[in-house]
Amino acid sequence: MGWIKTKWTPEQADRWTKEDYITFIISPLIYVLLALGVAFSLLLLWYGWVMVGASIILLIVMIKIIDPKLKAISEDYETKQKKYLEDLEKIARWEE
Amino acid sequence: MVNFAFLDWFWLVAFIVLMVFCGVLFYRLGKRSLSDFFLAGRGLPWWLPAASVYATHSATDTPMWISGVIYKYGMRGIWYTFFSAWCAISAFASTRIFRRSLAYTQAEWQTLRYSGLGAELLRGWIAGWQVFMNMFVLGWVGIAMGKLCGYLFGWPEWIGLILFSSLCAIYVLAAGYWGVVMADFQQGVIAFSVIIIVSLWGIVAAGGPSGIMAKLDTLGESWRLNPFAFSGVTSGDFPLAWFLTMMVIAVIGGFGMGTAIDWYPEAQRIQSAKTVRDSSYSIWAGSALIIVRNSLWTVAILAFFSLYPRIQSTAEYEMAWYRLGFEFLPVGLVGFFFAAIVAIHLSTISTHLNLGASYATRDLYHHYFKPKASDKELVWVGRITTLIILLGSFVYGLMMQEITQWLIFALWIMAAGIWLPNILQVIWWRFNAWGYLSSWIANLGFSWLIVWVLPEFKVIPVLPDYLQFWCMMVLGAVIYIPITFLTKPEDMDRLVKYYVMSRPLGWWKPVAEEAERRGLLKLEDHRSRGGN
Repeated sequence: MGWIKTKWTPEQADRWTKEDYITFIISPLIYVLLALGVAFSLLLLWYGWVMVGASIILLIVMIKIIDPKLKAISEDYETKQKKYLEDLEKIARWEE
Repeated sequence: MVNFAFLDWFWLVAFIVLMVFCGVLFYRLGKRSLSDFFLAGRGLPWWLPAASVYATHSATDTPMWISGVIYKYGMRGIWYTFFSAWCAISAFASTRIFRRSLAYTQAEWQTLRYSGLGAELLRGWIAGWQVFMNMFVLGWVGIAMGKLCGYLFGWPEWIGLILFSSLCAIYVLAAGYWGVVMADFQQGVIAFSVIIIVSLWGIVAAGGPSGIMAKLDTLGESWRLNPFAFSGVTSGDFPLAWFLTMMVIAVIGGFGMGTAIDWYPEAQRIQSAKTVRDSSYSIWAGSALIIVRNSLWTVAILAFFSLYPRIQSTAEYEMAWYRLGFEFLPVGLVGFFFAAIVAIHLSTISTHLNLGASYATRDLYHHYFKPKASDKELVWVGRITTLIILLGSFVYGLMMQEITQWLIFALWIMAAGIWLPNILQVIWWRFNAWGYLSSWIANLGFSWLIVWVLPEFKVIPVLPDYLQFWCMMVLGAVIYIPITFLTKPEDMDRLVKYYVMSRPLGWWKPVAEEAERRGLLKLEDHRSRGGN
């Protein structure tokens, strides 16, 4: 999947990019496949197993696409969190 | 009535002691600070809030509700349970944005996104509404337990309502959210295991998959195996228009905050995760478990239908999944089953007790009554408000009778008119506090008018659910869109601060440009945003 970016700088990761939009499409699809796939599998219908298999493959693809980006966002954000928490307390205490 | 053997009572007592002990064990962590009492110190790995999401949304009323819709509609009823799919997109959109805001609650988020009097009115309103809603949820979940205990032991409903909620309050009062999330984890494991066991047992008791399908065929009810057996495009009891509306609400709703009532407990789990990544995965995985659970229940209820196909009373067929467990499990396992029911009950009760108390403490007491309060004082206020909410829930619980009716009212009507504003506040910089506030007020008015008053006076016919949703959405927009444009945009200082911290999705170009002008964003960021 060369067209999927796997190395992110914090600034790049903060943007909404095609990796996010692809995830927005794949993720609900996995839920639909899981919902129907598990039900049909319990009824021992062959297409239920196909659906469950497809949902697992799509889950792996989704994680490969979005995980590097989420890691980059998280690592950068945690360094700024302390300052943001102080600002939050100021608003709660009417100091800002 | 069900007769418990010694082994059944043993399982029940052992589980209750274990659950309460597990919660109380975290007393020392819970009392350290407000952040610990309501968010477990914002330090949880993704799988703990995920288990909590799953456990919280598996309540005693959940199998009753799902039994009701599957028994009535067959497998197509699975789409009624699909509303949790809002997490599919939310996990990677609104969850990410909300986690970066660091707000304790959705009410607090209002004062980060908006400014001035409008923001404060919204914070107060949402906090008050959430305190009420959590009591309300506790009431309906509690009375479901009361009904179940009545069915099992012949107890009056109030005993089941009060007994188990009070047991749960022990560890919520002691350890706050630490107690909730740790107990949720073990309750989630127990509940999921038992849901698998009972559902499979029920399927086998009905003759296995082939037996169920053959029986449905004999009854002329094979359509019940088709999840897309629509009654027409707009006609009948299960029209395509309803299905499409439901999918839009569930899936697109993930871009907003508050588009489903489940958002509010999820918001607490999002903030308790230790990183943005953990929060995303916790919401996604917790909901995936819910979807798998619903499918297990669906097939089990189809099995029940093949055994008892002619039940007319809603109250009777809502007990379908419970009956599979109590009628078909062997002696000794029945107590195990009931212990798991207590587990799923306590996990929901504990969440809503702590969540309601967080709004009362953080947003009402701390922000409006005593801004300089110490952490120690706030933890105690958290405990006192937990107790008040518990007592209030008993009153609500005793007022409710028809579970399905209340659930559909809450899930559908109460959220319909504010569904779009809940998205707009996340994705559109120009949407302001007055627009959002007016959408709430308009929704309250329109929902009563469209659902009850106008049909009652024969001004309009009784509309199907999906039409009620679209009507309320359009009518609400007629109010809040003009109000948004007739009032000033939010203060740019607040918007820039919010934008830099949360990096929202959607139409934020003027705010992004201002942030760049102030040197808060790098030039590269802005250029790459393109048409925003």
